[in-house]
Amino acid sequence: MKKIFIIAIFGSLVFLLSRCHKAELAPETAYDDRLSGGKATVFDETSHALTHSIDGMEARDLRVHELGDQAFEAKFVAPPAPVFSGLGSIFNNVSCINCHRNDGGGFPSTGSATSGLLMRISQAGMDPHGGPMAVEGYGTQIQDLSVYGYKAEATVNISYTEIPFTYPDGSKITLRHPVYSLQNPYLPIGVSYMLSPRLAPPVIGLGLIDNIPEATIKSFVDKGDKNGDGITGKVNIVYDGFTNSYAVGRYGLKANTATLLSQVAAAYQQDMGVTSYVNPAESSYGQGQWPSGTDDGKTELADSILKFTTFYVRTLAVPARRNITDPDVKAGSALFNQINCSGCHRPTIMTGPDFNLPQLSGQRIHPYTDVLLHDLGDGLADDRPDFLATGREWRTQPLWGLGLLQKTTGTAFYLHDGRARTIEEAILWHDGEAARSKQAFTNLSKAERNQLIKFLNSL
Amino acid sequence: MKKLIVLSSIIIAGLSACHKANESGSSGAVDFVTLEGEVINDFTNNVVYFRYVSLVHSAEEMQTSVNNLVAETSDANLADARAKWKAMRADWEQSEGFLMGPVESNDYDPNTDTWPTDYVQMDSLLASANPLTTDDVKNLSQSLRGYHPLEYMIWGKGGSKTAAGITARQKTFMTSLIDDLLENNVQALFNDWFLGSSNYKEQVVTAGQGSTEFSTRQALFLNIVSAMSDICGEVGSGKMYEPFVARDSTITESPYSSNTLVDFKNNIVGLQQVYLGLNGGKGIHNLVAARQLDLDQKIQAHINAALNSFDQITVRYEEAIFSQRTQVQNTMDQLEALNDLLENDLKNFIITNVRD
Repeated sequence: MKKIFIIAIFGSLVFLLSRCHKAELAPETAYDDRLSGGKATVFDETSHALTHSIDGMEARDLRVHELGDQAFEAKFVAPPAPVFSGLGSIFNNVSCINCHRNDGGGFPSTGSATSGLLMRISQAGMDPHGGPMAVEGYGTQIQDLSVYGYKAEATVNISYTEIPFTYPDGSKITLRHPVYSLQNPYLPIGVSYMLSPRLAPPVIGLGLIDNIPEATIKSFVDKGDKNGDGITGKVNIVYDGFTNSYAVGRYGLKANTATLLSQVAAAYQQDMGVTSYVNPAESSYGQGQWPSGTDDGKTELADSILKFTTFYVRTLAVPARRNITDPDVKAGSALFNQINCSGCHRPTIMTGPDFNLPQLSGQRIHPYTDVLLHDLGDGLADDRPDFLATGREWRTQPLWGLGLLQKTTGTAFYLHDGRARTIEEAILWHDGEAARSKQAFTNLSKAERNQLIKFLNSL
Repeated sequence: MKKLIVLSSIIIAGLSACHKANESGSSGAVDFVTLEGEVINDFTNNVVYFRYVSLVHSAEEMQTSVNNLVAETSDANLADARAKWKAMRADWEQSEGFLMGPVESNDYDPNTDTWPTDYVQMDSLLASANPLTTDDVKNLSQSLRGYHPLEYMIWGKGGSKTAAGITARQKTFMTSLIDDLLENNVQALFNDWFLGSSNYKEQVVTAGQGSTEFSTRQALFLNIVSAMSDICGEVGSGKMYEPFVARDSTITESPYSSNTLVDFKNNIVGLQQVYLGLNGGKGIHNLVAARQLDLDQKIQAHINAALNSFDQITVRYEEAIFSQRTQVQNTMDQLEALNDLLENDLKNFIITNVRD
């Protein structure tokens, strides 16, 4: 009897202690869902959350990252100058950081030091490599600022029309639709032209995106929509002038650039007027303000600096998720999958091998993108093709860091042109292949919609 | 029956042993929470408010001095403008100990403290027909606005400028430069923090209690610590290290006035004010001392060591990178050690102790 009593006491103690558990820290699965970037995740939720290097780099790599960081922040000045020389003659901004605020997104304005939106231009047809057809005197981008003695190509005017939207449950919200026009062109534009706005996106986790195997991206394509979910997806195949070859496009809002090096070099040359070994000719070469003669071919950016900047964006860490045990966030995560936002914004992808940076190698990451092009409908269309991307197609934007953009940017703006002032507005602009998900979102209860948005803010 | 009583008391004891981590309501915890609120208030009112008011004041004095210099262009007035520029610069650099909020999100930092100055465009600008009104200056590129173009106007390259060498166009430009700095930046920065209904101060003092910017007090304190750590890292690993390792005196921060070293030290003074509190108010150190006295003493000692090490550099920084490399290296080492403490120990302290 005594034995049974002792067993009963121990039994109840074991049972009771098993009921004790501390405040839940992380789900008890094999994976920690906070690690959006796998080993390349950083824990910081301040305004500097997007500015960190991946952990554990060797001292030499860290030094290269730091030098890239300085180059990213450097304000270029008109040549000839002892440092940061080479701005212009025409440009959109003077440094990388002025558009990619705190390594995050930009402001949807044009023509000032704090502007983060630029305008692409082209005319009907394709260039010899299948890319957009340049407009004579303008190229394929409007540079809306200039150094003294030169004229900006044009002023980009933005106005918005308000569009009321009512949910099935009666809730109301106002969206705004942008209208763009060019004013004060420095010379007449003789052809009809197409414009496409591009807001500077966050530059985090690019080394991870770079390391997603091409086969993985291609495997996400559902040609002919065999599973009947309304989503097909398309790979953009783009021409890279530096390597003189065609490749899968991963970067740019229309996946119109193949490599990080080309993306960074094009930003230096087109956005700041700074030439490099990848793009040795000035953006204004051969245009209306070109003095005459050929470009001297001298590069303004040291080869090393271009490599440092490229390495910098390659090694920027992804911020960890927050509040993952919050019941609303968990419910929102389930809704995100249920209404098939995850059909394009893929939650989990494995990166391929990287022999230099183990933090990027074989990582289980949560980028919430498939790196594919999708038709997003008329509302978001720019009607300007870019290689295989039609005027209705955009690349799925990664969502990691989404909930921190308000802090890192100062005021966050969403979508390719910053028209959306809130995540909710951004969702409501989705259409085309995303029409069913958008519809399902509008049919959720207000509480459920808030759960979904809370989940997105935890990314 | 007796056995049943024993059993049930064990069950009760067992259940009472279960409690969540955040429910420990000892009086010590309550005091700590009160202390958190005091530190937040004192940070806002005694450190930030004091420094930004002081910055507005010193910029006003600079404006008066520039106006005097333009009215009567004498070497004495030029010397006065230089002194006032340095005083204003001290306030600004000390305010960089808390580089967060409007100064960052509304671009007051890049609008006023961008370097290098753009000589080529400045020459073109001065030679052009641009009227150079305050509004014109406001719309110029960041490398043509703020402290450093003004510095260049009153010192010239190598500090060689004399009153007789100041042209009429330069007078117009320096007048508009200080007007733009004062009205569009320094005053606007103060207003964003303290005036109007949606000011940043409200966001700070209501952290964890309705603030949309800081959903918890922990988030606020982490931001403050992150700002301290950032400035420490920027001085040690950036502003000092780059000219040092490149042996390049053209990339120092305030080269015309030879004020670079003073700028650096004032950044760390600003950091110290955030940590210790200012004007009798409480600082983060009070929180640390309440829970982990040895860490507090260690941080204070490291701040002091870093500040003192600047005084071992006895020539201007543009020379020191060549002639006093050991001393420069020592200061950078001190700053690195301090930053390690802030980035790791102090950050962890906040995460562990500020629980809301």
